[in-house]
Amino acid sequence: MAKLVGVYAASHGPLIIRNWQNLKPADQESVSAAFSELGRRVNAARPDVLIVISPDHWINFFINNLPSICVGVGEVNEGPNEPWMKDFPHREIPGHPRLAEHILNTALAHDFDPSVSHRLILDHGFCIPLWKARIDPLPAIVPVILNDIEPPFPTVKRCYAWGEMLAAAIASYPEDLRVAVMGTGGLSHSIGEPTMGLIEEDFDRDCLGLFESGEERPLIDFLTQRLPTIGNGASEIRNWIAAHGAAGGAGFELINYKAIPELYVGFGVAAWNLAAPAKARRSLAKSKRPTSRR
Amino acid sequence: MRDYWASKLFFDLQNPAAANEYRADRKTVLDRYPLKPEVRAAVEADDVAYLSRLVNPYQLRFYFFAAGMSEEDFLRRIRSADGPKDAAHG
Repeated sequence: MAKLVGVYAASHGPLIIRNWQNLKPADQESVSAAFSELGRRVNAARPDVLIVISPDHWINFFINNLPSICVGVGEVNEGPNEPWMKDFPHREIPGHPRLAEHILNTALAHDFDPSVSHRLILDHGFCIPLWKARIDPLPAIVPVILNDIEPPFPTVKRCYAWGEMLAAAIASYPEDLRVAVMGTGGLSHSIGEPTMGLIEEDFDRDCLGLFESGEERPLIDFLTQRLPTIGNGASEIRNWIAAHGAAGGAGFELINYKAIPELYVGFGVAAWNLAAPAKARRSLAKSKRPTSRR
Repeated sequence: MRDYWASKLFFDLQNPAAANEYRADRKTVLDRYPLKPEVRAAVEADDVAYLSRLVNPYQLRFYFFAAGMSEEDFLRRIRSADGPKDAAHG
C-alpha cells in the first residue's frame, strides 16, 4: 500500500528568481535556509512520488477553458517555459500515471469532477520550490492545478476536502509507494492591482496561527471571510489548505515566514508532522474507495 | 467580466517571439485581434487603469512587462488606478 510520508508548503514568487540579486543579504540567507530545510525534509522522506498543488499562471489554460482543478496523469510533463526559468535543470519531468489515475477515480468517488491533462507545462509555481529546495533525486511529480488565479475560485472548504481526498487516495493505492504532498504559493501578495507590492503581514501571521491551531473550521472561516478583502495572490493559500487537508488538519509546523518587499510576498515555508493525530485522514481512507479504474 | 480579445492578446504575448514582434510592430499585431475600438485605444495609449478593469490582473501585469513598460512606471500607473477590486480578488 502507498504511504503518505510528507506534507509541505512553500511560496513560489517569481521574484525569488528574477529579483534575487536585489534582496538584502539577510533575506537571501533567510529564504535559502528555509528552502534548504524544506529540501532536507523532502529528501529525508524519500518520496517516490510528490503531488504538487499549484495554480496555473496562464501557461496551460486560458479563459476559453479554465478548470477549477486539473490532475496531470501524463507519463511526462514539461518543465517551465517562462524565459527567466530557463536555468531550471529539468526540461521534462516524469509523472506517475497510475497514481494520478487512482487520484482521479478517488476524486470522482468523493464527488469531485476534476479535469484531466496528459501533458502539462509545469510553470514556476511548481518548479521554484523544487529547484530552490534542491530536491534530489527529483521524484515523479503528479501535478494538481488548482485555480487560484481567475475567479470564480473553488471554496476554501472545498480545497480542504480536496486535500482530505488526496490522503484517502494515497491510503487506498495498492502499490507500495512513498508519496508526499506539497502546496505552493502565497502567502499574502498582490499582483497587477492597485495594492501591488503590499504584503499583509498581520493577515499572514493570523493565518499561520490558525494553521498551527489544528482547528480546521476557524481556519476555513477566516480564509473564506478574508481572502476576498486582500491582495489577489493570497488566494494561493488554497494550496496550503489542500496540503493541510492531506495532513488531516494537524501537525502544521512553520519553517519560516518573512515579509520580503523585494519579493512582493509574505514568504513562507512549512511542513506537517504526520505523527500528529489525523482523524479525518483515517476516517476518509476507510470510505469512498474508488470502485473502478478509468 | 473579462474582455476576451484583450485577454487573448495578452495571453498570446507570453510567447517571446510574439512579444518581440509586438514591440517592433505593435499595429500589425493589434490588427489580428478584433478589439473593440475603445479597448484598442486603451492598449495603444498604455492605459493601465482602463485595461485593469477588463483583464485578469496577472495578465495585465505580464502584458505591460512584455510590452516594455518599466516596473516603476507600471506600479505608478496601477497604484493610481481607480478601478473596482471586485473581479480580481480571491
